[in-house]
Amino acid sequence: MSLDYVKFTPGFGKFMPKEYRDMVEHGPFGKKTTVSQVGTFKEIMEEHPMCAGCAMTLFIRLAFIALPNPEDTIMVGTAGCGRLAISQAAVPFVYGNYGDQNGVASGLSRGLRLRFGDQPKDVVVMAGDGGMADIGFSCTLHSWFRQEKFTTIMLDNEVYGNTGGQESGMTNKGQVLKMAPLGKKFEKMDMLGMAKVAGCAYVATVVPNNPRRVESVIKKAVLIAREVGPTYIQAYTSCNIEYAIPTDQVLQDCKDVENDRYQFTEYISDEAKEHLSTLYGYKEYLPKPVAAVTKG
Amino acid sequence: MYLVANIDQEICAATSCRLCTQYCPEANTIQYGTELGKDKGFKYGSAYVSVDRCKGCAQCVWVCDNMAKHKAIKMEMIDQIGDQALTENISYHEKNTTAVLASPWKS
Ligand SMILES: Cc1ncc(C[n+]2csc(CCOP(=O)(O)OP(=O)(O)O)c2C)c(N)n1
Ligand code: SF4
Ligand code: SF4
Ligand code: SF4
Repeated sequence: MSLDYVKFTPGFGKFMPKEYRDMVEHGPFGKKTTVSQVGTFKEIMEEHPMCAGCAMTLFIRLAFIALPNPEDTIMVGTAGCGRLAISQAAVPFVYGNYGDQNGVASGLSRGLRLRFGDQPKDVVVMAGDGGMADIGFSCTLHSWFRQEKFTTIMLDNEVYGNTGGQESGMTNKGQVLKMAPLGKKFEKMDMLGMAKVAGCAYVATVVPNNPRRVESVIKKAVLIAREVGPTYIQAYTSCNIEYAIPTDQVLQDCKDVENDRYQFTEYISDEAKEHLSTLYGYKEYLPKPVAAVTKG
Repeated sequence: MYLVANIDQEICAATSCRLCTQYCPEANTIQYGTELGKDKGFKYGSAYVSVDRCKGCAQCVWVCDNMAKHKAIKMEMIDQIGDQALTENISYHEKNTTAVLASPWKS
């Protein structure tokens, strides 16, 4: 976990596959690459078996580009579609049992702090809505209540995509799915509200059809989690298979859902604002100068 | 045979908006060559597709048609495209990539 591991053993470079050489020589490690530069540097995500046109794939791709220090990051995931792509990138990936990802990440981030002190090592959990809000619910909530300092990203496709279409707590009420033929009986869980109640320092919702916004929220969430407290991003990442969305309409669907019920929201605590402005130069969070009151 | 995205470089190089590169779900697939089209008088280059990575979802077509409004991308049968970019022929440079275009069908 450092720039030291992103280089060739002397003499071996020429034997490495082209994709690997490109990644070492033209990847984002040690540089500040951005979403607007894509197409000109080698991204650290490689080929993977997620479905063609899956919005979750696009989101994961953008997330890897957005990581402030990919060479100092560990991703944690669990069963579900996302791990098929998250595991195919040049960032260490820890795969827990289904649902225990926030427990694993808690231990990992504490261990990294003990080992590396103030040197930032980022832990980022990315897992499906089922893994996070159903099976992993207690691990997720408890990590927030305990104020564990890492980022949790929910890949919310509003269904168990990987196992063929069961409803999850994040499915909308009334939704009929292959394995929920009568329609879901209760409301979508308010994980955003729970994240705030449990004390997350940063909570945001995004859809992948705004790549620069995805980049911006992930950067902030990771930087805040370094010192302030837990951060949570909930991303709408439709499952075009289970929701029968033609692949060339996936972005239209993202747009429609964003306008309908997944508008961009961002909550950021005062401590997190101060942290971003003093340590990372976020001018928008500098304290507003108090306007001089002139008495007439 | 199967469909992959094919970018008309003359239409693309006329504006070079770089939108589709940000929306393709697959990494390292739509590349950007700042030199492409310069021989035809275009200034800022064009996007192109590394066809061996393209999964044929046509999201880039939606982006170019509806967001960029340039209509530069069409889905075409891979054996009908002629010279194409393949991962093995792509080189990265400062702020640019270049590809030696080759037909996978001719040896
Ligand atoms: C303990 C346990 N129970 C069940 C499974 C089977 N399983 C694998 S993936 C999955 C569903 C994943 O759904 P979600 O977390 O929403 O992610 P998605 O695939 O939709 O991205 C299930 C139930 C498992 N791997 N482990
Ligand atoms: S099953 Fe759904 S969520 Fe999973 S990869 Fe396919 S489209 Fe994406
Ligand atoms: S969206 Fe269209 S015009 Fe813009 S870079 Fe892509 S192909 Fe070129
Ligand atoms: S068709 Fe899909 S995978 Fe292929 S280049 Fe376009 S967006 Fe990318």
